Amino acid sequence: MTNLPIIQSQKEADRFGRRIAVRLTAGTVELPYAITERLRAARVQAVDRRRAANLVRASSVFASGGAATLAFGDGGVSLWNRIASALPLIALAAGLILIHAVQDDRRASEVAEVDAALLTDDLPPSAYADPGFAQFLKSGRN
Amino acid sequence: MATERELSDFLKSVEKRAFKRSIYHVRDEEAALDIVQDSMMKLAEHYGDKPAAELPMLFQRILSNCTLDWFRRQKTRNALFSNMSDFETSGDDGDFDLLETYSLTDSSQLVESAEDSTRRAQILREIETEIQQLPGRQREAFLMRYWEDMDVAETAAAMGCSEGSVKTHCSRAVQALSKALKAKGIQL
Repeated sequence: MTNLPIIQSQKEADRFGRRIAVRLTAGTVELPYAITERLRAARVQAVDRRRAANLVRASSVFASGGAATLAFGDGGVSLWNRIASALPLIALAAGLILIHAVQDDRRASEVAEVDAALLTDDLPPSAYADPGFAQFLKSGRN
Repeated sequence: MATERELSDFLKSVEKRAFKRSIYHVRDEEAALDIVQDSMMKLAEHYGDKPAAELPMLFQRILSNCTLDWFRRQKTRNALFSNMSDFETSGDDGDFDLLETYSLTDSSQLVESAEDSTRRAQILREIETEIQQLPGRQREAFLMRYWEDMDVAETAAAMGCSEGSVKTHCSRAVQALSKALKAKGIQL
């Protein structure tokens, strides 16, 4: 008979639990200043940590923003990202090749023009290699 | 998603209770402060983007896990002097609980403040003592249900057990507390 529960209904148990909770809450008001200050500092630190975590999250979203516009699905992000980042390099290489080819062409045509002028001149090209003719030109200039 | 203000207000509303609850478990002021701080950090860092309504349950769960981690670290530190048989549970509810084991083996370490002299403070001290003497799971369930004002489902989710277990733990805690307090002549 002594082992019979003191509180028999759920309502009674809830009422008892809440009365205990009220007493416990009253106890938290009297916490020492050092403790409440440490709790306050911990809270401020936690909120700062959350701000930092949000910043990291936001910056990672910002960094992937350019690639995200080219993405067509989860798997395509890295492929399109790679293609997009390689495009300027490809354009630069193509431009350099084009400039080189144009300049090569221009140089060849200039050389061809000189050659043609030399070949169609009255004086044969071998005359320019002759030391006597070179001397003749120098003395004639003087 | 909870705003910064909501998170701060929530933490402010629970910090003192969380500290007291940790004290009931670990009986060490510094350790309790570390546990609460750790829990706040984890909540803010990993779950700061959750809706404000989910914060209470998440925080209680994190607090419980941090407390368990503290006990595990203590056990590891004292590994040379402990035996694996210390972990065997004596409860008949089938739940293994490190808190319960620790509180049962360590009840001699209860430390009481003798400074308070008013009757109200005495009653509070008696209540706190009785709560500390409850088995860990019963204490967890009781404090979450009545002090944190969580319903049975929320408490079960935070404790990682069934609603039936929560009801059983709460009922046993209420019976034990009412019996102990009545024996001391305390009427609430």
